[in-house]
Amino acid sequence: MSEIIRRDPRVEWIARNRLHPLHAAAQPAAVSWMGPNGVIRKNPHGVGFIGPNGLKRIDRSGGQQGGSQKRSTASAVVQLPLHVIEQPAFHIVVVPDMVGGRLSAHDKDLLGLAHKLAGSDGAVVAVIFGEHKENALDCNGVDRLLQFEADGFSGYAPEARVLALAALERQLTPRHWLLPDSRTGGGELGRRLAAKLGVRPATRVWQVADGVSSGRAGAGREDLVQQAPRVVLAAVECAEPVSETRHEVRALALNEALVRHIPRIQDLGAVAVDPAQIPMAEAEFILSGGNGVKDWALFHQAAAALGATEGASRVAVDDGYMGRERQVGASGIWVTARVYVAVGISGAIQHLQGIGACDKVVAINLDPTCDMIKRADLSVIGESAAILQALIERVAAYRQGGARDAA
Amino acid sequence: MLTTILPILLFAALALAVIGAGKRFLMWRRGRPAQVDWLGGLLAMPRRYMVDLHHVVARDKYIANTHVATAGGFVLAAVLAILVHGFGLHSRLLGFALLAATALMFVGALFVAKRRLDPPSRLSKGPWMRLPKSLLMFAASFFIATLPVAGIVSADFGGWVLALLLSVGVAWGVSELFFGMTWGGPMKHAFAGALHLAWHRRAERFAGGRSTGLKALDLDNRNAPLGVEKPTDFTWNQLLGFDACVQCGKCEAACPAYAAGQPLNPKKLIQDMVVGLAGGTDAKFAGSPYPGKPIGEHSGGPHLPIVNLNGKALVDAETLWSCTTCRACVEECPMMIEHVDAIVDMRRHLTLEKGATPNKGAEVLDNLIATDNPGGFAPGGRLNWAADLNLALMSDKQSVEVLFWVGDGAFDMRNQRTLRAFVKVLKAAQVDFAVLGLEERDSGDVARRLGDEATFQLLAKRNIATLGQYQFRTIVTCDPHSFHVLKNEYGELGGHYQVLHHSTYMEQLISGQKLTLGTHKGGSVTYHDPCYLGRYNGEYEAPRAVLKAIGIEVREMERSAFRSRCCGGGGGAPITDIPGKQRIPDMRMADIKETAAEVVAVGCPQCTAMLEGVVGQRPEVKDIAELVADVLLESAAPLKQGNPAPVAAMEVH
Amino acid sequence: MTELNIVALVSVGAHPLSGRPRRAEQDARAVELGLHLAGERLQVLHAGDPQQEALRAYLGMGLNQLKILEQPAHSDALPVLADYLADSSAQLVLTGSQAETGEGSGMLPFLLAEQLGWPLVVGLAAVEQVSDGVAQVLQALPRGQRRRLQVRLPFVASVDNAAPTARQSAFGPARRGLLTAEEVELVADPLFASAQLQPAKPRPKRLKVIKAKTGAERMKAATAKASGGGGQVLKDVSPEAGAEAIFKLLLEEGVLR
Repeated sequence: MSEIIRRDPRVEWIARNRLHPLHAAAQPAAVSWMGPNGVIRKNPHGVGFIGPNGLKRIDRSGGQQGGSQKRSTASAVVQLPLHVIEQPAFHIVVVPDMVGGRLSAHDKDLLGLAHKLAGSDGAVVAVIFGEHKENALDCNGVDRLLQFEADGFSGYAPEARVLALAALERQLTPRHWLLPDSRTGGGELGRRLAAKLGVRPATRVWQVADGVSSGRAGAGREDLVQQAPRVVLAAVECAEPVSETRHEVRALALNEALVRHIPRIQDLGAVAVDPAQIPMAEAEFILSGGNGVKDWALFHQAAAALGATEGASRVAVDDGYMGRERQVGASGIWVTARVYVAVGISGAIQHLQGIGACDKVVAINLDPTCDMIKRADLSVIGESAAILQALIERVAAYRQGGARDAA
Repeated sequence: MLTTILPILLFAALALAVIGAGKRFLMWRRGRPAQVDWLGGLLAMPRRYMVDLHHVVARDKYIANTHVATAGGFVLAAVLAILVHGFGLHSRLLGFALLAATALMFVGALFVAKRRLDPPSRLSKGPWMRLPKSLLMFAASFFIATLPVAGIVSADFGGWVLALLLSVGVAWGVSELFFGMTWGGPMKHAFAGALHLAWHRRAERFAGGRSTGLKALDLDNRNAPLGVEKPTDFTWNQLLGFDACVQCGKCEAACPAYAAGQPLNPKKLIQDMVVGLAGGTDAKFAGSPYPGKPIGEHSGGPHLPIVNLNGKALVDAETLWSCTTCRACVEECPMMIEHVDAIVDMRRHLTLEKGATPNKGAEVLDNLIATDNPGGFAPGGRLNWAADLNLALMSDKQSVEVLFWVGDGAFDMRNQRTLRAFVKVLKAAQVDFAVLGLEERDSGDVARRLGDEATFQLLAKRNIATLGQYQFRTIVTCDPHSFHVLKNEYGELGGHYQVLHHSTYMEQLISGQKLTLGTHKGGSVTYHDPCYLGRYNGEYEAPRAVLKAIGIEVREMERSAFRSRCCGGGGGAPITDIPGKQRIPDMRMADIKETAAEVVAVGCPQCTAMLEGVVGQRPEVKDIAELVADVLLESAAPLKQGNPAPVAAMEVH
Repeated sequence: MTELNIVALVSVGAHPLSGRPRRAEQDARAVELGLHLAGERLQVLHAGDPQQEALRAYLGMGLNQLKILEQPAHSDALPVLADYLADSSAQLVLTGSQAETGEGSGMLPFLLAEQLGWPLVVGLAAVEQVSDGVAQVLQALPRGQRRRLQVRLPFVASVDNAAPTARQSAFGPARRGLLTAEEVELVADPLFASAQLQPAKPRPKRLKVIKAKTGAERMKAATAKASGGGGQVLKDVSPEAGAEAIFKLLLEEGVLR
């Protein structure tokens, strides 16, 4: 939709129709009127309207109609310039992790790095195995897309993937292979590929500048600086993601047919892991109880209902309600959960230290002044038992609803 | 007839006693060799018994007087009875003396019996309930049997009936008191106790001395066992010491871990060692069990491992890890038994041989090896707390009056307040001091209490090497644990220093009038004695004197000074973290609350941390240094005022 | 316990804060897993300097001996290890995923598997059973998740921090254990001819760059409430309303399964 101001005949009609219920609202704000002493009063603020750029405009041509309400139009998406590489001088191949079928932040950084390496002559090729749900491949710098059919690559099939990538190597001989050095697949696939290609990769790379890559070495106390090799496994934030150009996402096909092979590693599927058994340091959703929890049976019930890993503050552990291995904090375990729900934990400094790496913290507490509330992204002040009970019921209702929907 | 029976009975019992003594002695000697002053010890024994031991027993007047009467009466009676009835020296004088001795013993035994009417739970029952009867029987029998000797009644008084009765009585008496002494009866404590006093492993403890530092393991000798795995790995005089236990349960009553419901009872532990020494089960133990551990399930032998990590042996590992090494048991023990030494010896085996330090223990030890501090903090951050204080470094100054040993509290944000307060005091007193800075390492206290002698010696040797480079008159530290280790445990490894706790040093500054102080205004104060300052080093007065100097009248707790209850933070107990029914710091905080004080003064970073970890309403916890720094008068103006101190000094001259 | 012939490869680690030599964390976990699976029969192998005292920390876990293929620093460990393993009867080779000193690229298990022609399992968490030359194993995934895999013997497996924590290293066994060195052919590592190690540069925190086309947008972005300035606080709400808010957040974060 454009930003051009158009007449609105309906509003004009309402403005004329004194009997219309919206008549008053459609009137232009009075600009001038007779004051009590017969002096003309003017309201300079009532004059004009807000233009499309957010600036006030005064239209003295008299064409302004229908009041001075700001017209709300959906602001148009700015079309970024399209970056076209017709005849690439070379290729940079990126194999994104595609966690959940979408580009992760890590993948986007990697594509940014790829673009830095590709410059204006090279093309960035993204290799995706199976289906994906990403609809912003163009805005993230994918010039060429090689998408493999899911068949044969579903589940855990690193060996098949490496074979496919090796075929691509024969076809394109890319200048660089870029993979995310992540635990979600890229780190492994990249190393397998490097081993297959016989290339010594640069790993944990956090910067590539002027053809020189810097990556963490050893225990992270040193950097390994070298000419960027052909295979680069890059860390998070290795470069800024692409943000100023659009790209073609032109489909690319493999010239040779992939040879089927018998996998030496067979994926038997994911194993159901009891959230309570997940090591605290790794759990992504922790329900943690402290001094304010009075009904521990209810607490355990809530953890089970939410599917959360249980944690505890030092006091709860000292009081014997939870095992020592469940203690969160400086003297217990440093957790990295994405969501950390602190029930009745006031937030001693040692405890807050232990949850420093958590993304979202939810606090349920009686005391609105405690330190945990200051740290929390969402705090509910109230009796923990009642809130937990309500939460259990809410989740149960959600689960039942979900089951009905599915049925 | 009695004149024939009595000598037979007496000498038979004596002979059996001698045989038993020999057997028992050989049993002790199964332990590892230890250097003792054989003759000197024996000669010093009566004095140790009469003075040092009595000093401890006399804390309980009732039992002290009872024991003097009973034991004194018995020793006299026994000697005289052997002379009179054994060798037949029927002199009237000896007869009267024997009568007096048995009468004295009888009276004493009556009081023993009275205590046994409704014994407190700390006392062992079983054979110990029989002892007063045996004592009475011995005293009464010999009294009556001696009446003819003294000429009070005729020789054939009572006829054969009485003679028979008396023989039975004497037989009972001498079997309990003579050969029962060496064959494992309750009276064993007298025999083993006397020899234990003579050949004690810490002879320095007697005659007013103090010996609290743990003894080093010889790590260079590859054949020496690393700690104690089985009873025979103790030194023989340690085994002898265990045998001296009189099961009075004073240690049990004083033990913080026992009171907290952790599975430790020092008395039972010593008795278990006796079981291990002789072989058998603990089923016959007639005192309180380890909390939560029924009696009769554990057994051992001299050559069997004491701890079985995958099952039951003589003692469970968690019993050993419950100890806070607060030394309350040793302080209370009338037989001067060294419980803490034994516990650490057994911990050494678990850590050094089995790698079984529980809970966070392994992590802490790894941190100490890798980063020189138990928290695993980057060693380069050791002086961050003083970034703005402009402290002099030893490496720059080389020679100073006072070396301020900071300790690992440098990494703890709470303790940094104490450290900064103390620096303020030192600066106000214009003390010539410096710190080691990054050259300082953990003193090794925690590693040693956790049984990791290797890491302790590693840290200690490096610290000694560092300290050896510099000149200083004294080391001053705010941490009683570092204080104790530097003062009492580095000596064996070649580091001899004059070390002062900061409370002692501040007391010197105050009495030397180096500080101008106001008066404390923050409400009533009680003082918690840190174990490692008090019981380990006998410093009870200086902290109180400092508090007095700033106008504080200490509201003493019932358990203070040498009876102070541990905060639960010593001996690596917070690291090994053995669960109990309640927490030791909570109990200590209850003691503190009883005084209704608003502030509790402490002198130890561990105590501060433990007491501040108590949740709910509680008095404020403040280090003595903080209290003193709060009332310092000439703040931030020593330069402006010119040099008032020298002027004042001139006037004095 | 399975009747597997297991070899654990270990390296000398470095503490991340002090840099002091120690047993490498992940390698120690590999040894721990090996001890779980093979007990006494576990073989532990190191390529490097036999005088390195830090290796004794592995012995302290209860090993009787540790075999060392003697090499100076900056030699390539891969060929000697591959040769040794090819001649051995090993059915499972355990490694850590990344060395704590030197390059630490984490390539060793991959290259070793490639050279030996064995399959490689990354992130081994447990071996469930072995039958007919096929092992059923659990692979550790991020966030404590597990995947079951079937793999043919012999294979190489690397462990990461999801493997069981290594047991304490005790002084006694560490002192008693034997470090037996074996002379091997030396292969220099070409890496350091072209690359160098430097002290790690601190990485700058990424700034939130605001790309706005108009002044108004820039203004809006500049005056927006800084994130992390305290969250939403629900006071005086019914438990149901509070629970609803929490529920919504959990749903948004996708942690409700």
